[in-house]
Amino acid sequence: MSRLHNLPAWLVPLTGAALLVSAFQVPADAPTSPDSLLSAATGPALAAAVGPRPGGLPDPPDPPGTILLAEPGSPFVAFNIWIRAGSQNDPEGKEGLAALTAALLSDGSTTHDPYQAIVEKLYPMAAGYGASVDKEMTVFTGTVHIDNLERYYELFRNALLSPAFDEADFDRVKQQTLNFLERGRRYNRDEELSRELLYWMAYRGTPYEHPEEGFVRSVRAITLDDVRAFYDDFYVRNNLVVGVGGGFPVGFGERVRADFDTRPAGEVPVLPAPDPVRPDRVKILIVEKETDATAISMGFPTDLYRGHPDFWAMKLVNSWFGEHRSSFSHLYQVIRERRGMNYGDYSYIEPFPNAFATQNRPVNASRRSNLFEIWIRPIALTEPGNLHPRTLFATRAALRELDRLVERGLPEDQIERTRRFLNDFSLNYGSTVARRLAYRVDDAFFGLGADGSGSGEGGYLTSIRPGLAALDKAAVDTAIRRHLASEGLYLVFITADAQALKALLLSGEETRIDYAGEQPAEVLAEDDEIAAWPIPVVADDIVVLQISEVFEGR
Amino acid sequence: MRSLLAGALLACTALAGSSPPAAAQSDGDIFPFETRRFDLDNGLRTYLIHAGSPGMLAYVSVVRTGAREEVEEGVTGFAHFFEHMMFRGTKKYPNYDGVTESFGANRNANTSQDRTFYYLVAGSEYLERIVDLESDRFRNLSYAEPAFRTEAGAVLGEYQNNAYSAFSVLDRAVREKVFTTHTYRHQVIGFEPDVRDMPNQYRYSLDFFRRFYRPENVVLLVVGDFDFDQAESLIRAYYGGWEPGYVPPAVPVEPEQTEPRRDAVTYPGRTLPMVTLNWMAPAWSATDRQAVALELLGGIAFGPNSPIYRRLVVQERRLQALQAGFALSRDPDFVQVLAMVTDPADVQAIEAELLAEVERYQTELVDERTLADTRSAARYRFLMGLEAHLNVANAVSRAVVNTGALEPINDYYRTLRSITPEDLRRAAERILTERNRTIVTLVQEGGS
Repeated sequence: MSRLHNLPAWLVPLTGAALLVSAFQVPADAPTSPDSLLSAATGPALAAAVGPRPGGLPDPPDPPGTILLAEPGSPFVAFNIWIRAGSQNDPEGKEGLAALTAALLSDGSTTHDPYQAIVEKLYPMAAGYGASVDKEMTVFTGTVHIDNLERYYELFRNALLSPAFDEADFDRVKQQTLNFLERGRRYNRDEELSRELLYWMAYRGTPYEHPEEGFVRSVRAITLDDVRAFYDDFYVRNNLVVGVGGGFPVGFGERVRADFDTRPAGEVPVLPAPDPVRPDRVKILIVEKETDATAISMGFPTDLYRGHPDFWAMKLVNSWFGEHRSSFSHLYQVIRERRGMNYGDYSYIEPFPNAFATQNRPVNASRRSNLFEIWIRPIALTEPGNLHPRTLFATRAALRELDRLVERGLPEDQIERTRRFLNDFSLNYGSTVARRLAYRVDDAFFGLGADGSGSGEGGYLTSIRPGLAALDKAAVDTAIRRHLASEGLYLVFITADAQALKALLLSGEETRIDYAGEQPAEVLAEDDEIAAWPIPVVADDIVVLQISEVFEGR
Repeated sequence: MRSLLAGALLACTALAGSSPPAAAQSDGDIFPFETRRFDLDNGLRTYLIHAGSPGMLAYVSVVRTGAREEVEEGVTGFAHFFEHMMFRGTKKYPNYDGVTESFGANRNANTSQDRTFYYLVAGSEYLERIVDLESDRFRNLSYAEPAFRTEAGAVLGEYQNNAYSAFSVLDRAVREKVFTTHTYRHQVIGFEPDVRDMPNQYRYSLDFFRRFYRPENVVLLVVGDFDFDQAESLIRAYYGGWEPGYVPPAVPVEPEQTEPRRDAVTYPGRTLPMVTLNWMAPAWSATDRQAVALELLGGIAFGPNSPIYRRLVVQERRLQALQAGFALSRDPDFVQVLAMVTDPADVQAIEAELLAEVERYQTELVDERTLADTRSAARYRFLMGLEAHLNVANAVSRAVVNTGALEPINDYYRTLRSITPEDLRRAAERILTERNRTIVTLVQEGGS
């Protein structure tokens, strides 16, 4: 997801100085870090795999035109304008166009105000607006204190309805994107890059293939006329949904809709959902750079999406296996808690952009096709020469746990335990009006809710408890067998000395690790099994790239 | 409390019976919520605050110890490491994670220079379990050496997550140049050799707990929908027996800087060049006009709405980014202007332009409208941050960390409202001086 925002350094304990990109973005609204500033790979094509083709959500349902979440008395008003287009709509050779269009609108002049006048007008309100672009959706969001609603709305509306398409703004925004692609993405945060590369591997040949920000070469090729054309094609009244939440006055939501209805109507082609191939064996990408630590991501396409009959079962399974930033989840217990190998180990059934930066569950990254993803945060070298053995040990530990999950299913008591946790924990999901509104927009994407209107009833947040309550062991275990398997997957490493890692992988050698402290006998016994766990891969299925080639072009 | 889910998800942010942050007051207290403060005999201070969503609460323990307190050789990064150990259980509750999981708590912690911040967000019906659990670990934390050594590995992993970014390399260089003595010289994560040596510091960790995890050094912030009387009696009961004994460490005082300093570092990856101007600044204060003026000045002079930002970032695009970090700390710390330069050949000229701009603020007065807009921005930024329970705790934590009390947050915004253009000019003249200044630049290895 393209989110070119970030926090000032003093708000991010444990990180260094940060930069500000979008002048219209209020820092406190943007829980990301400096790396997001700086954000593409080519190389030998990965051999096409053969395996079952995951289904994904058949067709995107028609959403309502307006989603209103009235919370009378609230001092805040949140906006969420959803454009039903994302990076999947980028033309070939112009990958990154959806993101650049959104960035120009959210960080550029309007026909009413030059850029700097907008900055000046927003400044005393401490409010801003920003855009986020995912594979299938673009949202423009902002929250304002009710005192400033009218002044703010005028600016927000103009940004979307009266963009100036100013050449200088375009050059500035494009230059910032290229800086991110050429430098920041490659050098700042390997653990996030490994996740982007996993998506690239898994979606080769589909509209999901490229990162939202595009490739270095494709972004260079984008012109201001391309941006205008994208705006004309997709920012049309029948392709945008108006969301307003909070303490707005009566009639305000209708007024906003009427304003957005001034956009012409247009014909927007509906793209089929991607049809990624589930690999039948292990396929590996090794990106080489100078480093003392390895970033690891692995996964494969599934046919899960919100609303799929197995969704709640798999949400529970995933929570038990690898709930994001939860120390009691299984992978975390095995790799970090018991063995202290890294900072954290998680799994996902839906996209989780910028996972390093936030504990909050992402919103507005709805996709018809999803991966099951395992994220192993960087494994550091502890003694000269042990980086690769430690890397493979952690990888083997994760593969073994996945295999055991598929073999054994989940015991009753663990199902109950996880259900109890999620029942209460999910209360945190909608902690602000902006998030509650964003969940409604996602409901509308998936056609959730009694009438598909995104009205809340039957939506994601209100369905979690009943959805989990309805599960029994048979349902959970059936879902596991249907959606998970450990034999075929994509595996990404970002590490030093790629050829040595490749040789170690192909050798099949055991990779034991040493500990700084004593370990109980049962951990050591388990280590014997982990160290020898097979990663069946052949030389032709291992691709090596240099960091400087990553996301350079298709 | 019955329809907890619907309530939490659908209700507005303001609670019945508490004052919502509806209006930005022009005078009086900025903090709008009903608050109760009480101190126990052992020195533990608590603030109970009605705010946030119905049926939920945030339970926050602020330990006024961070990297600042790491005064001994070889143990930088320890406050943060110790934060990890606080999740390793006690005799009564050996499995802290399991207990918090059982009531679906969203809980974690983070460490900065001046404090360690533990939070737990959960349904209000779990209040007593939370008080029991949290008081127990703060009083009776217990872990064996093997667990300690294992956790040290996780900290090394955390170090690696971010160590190689250009920003991180630059930040380390700035700190080592600006400080000669004070503990702000090291990043919160610590120096790498110390992080690698952490497994060997078990005995030191026991000592660390005994010294710093004492009631006089902790402030509780309970924010949410709950009964004040019940919460107070629970906190009195569970924390009353916590033995005091905090002895503040002798944090070394940074000697006054007497001449300008400079450093240039290279980065092994690829990055645009970065220039930082840094000045030693006074400690945070709610009432010192010069300190408050300086914090405002950073945004006014170098923020997105500043003339130089407009010229160098927007019009000429000689900078990819320009940022001012002027938030002050518990002890005198540096404030920073950071510029990312588009053309490596332009670095020196950019430095000169930034310095000329500083000089301008030392001699010219900021216009009244800019100042009024800045005051308004500061006030709304604060109010906009009061939406959810945990955010409320974060919003007041600066005052709590720096002074041990919440009330100064109101004083701070009163002082802020009274700042004049002359206060801003004087802050620039007295603090952003040449002798107080350190310039550090970063370029990629081998040039562009």
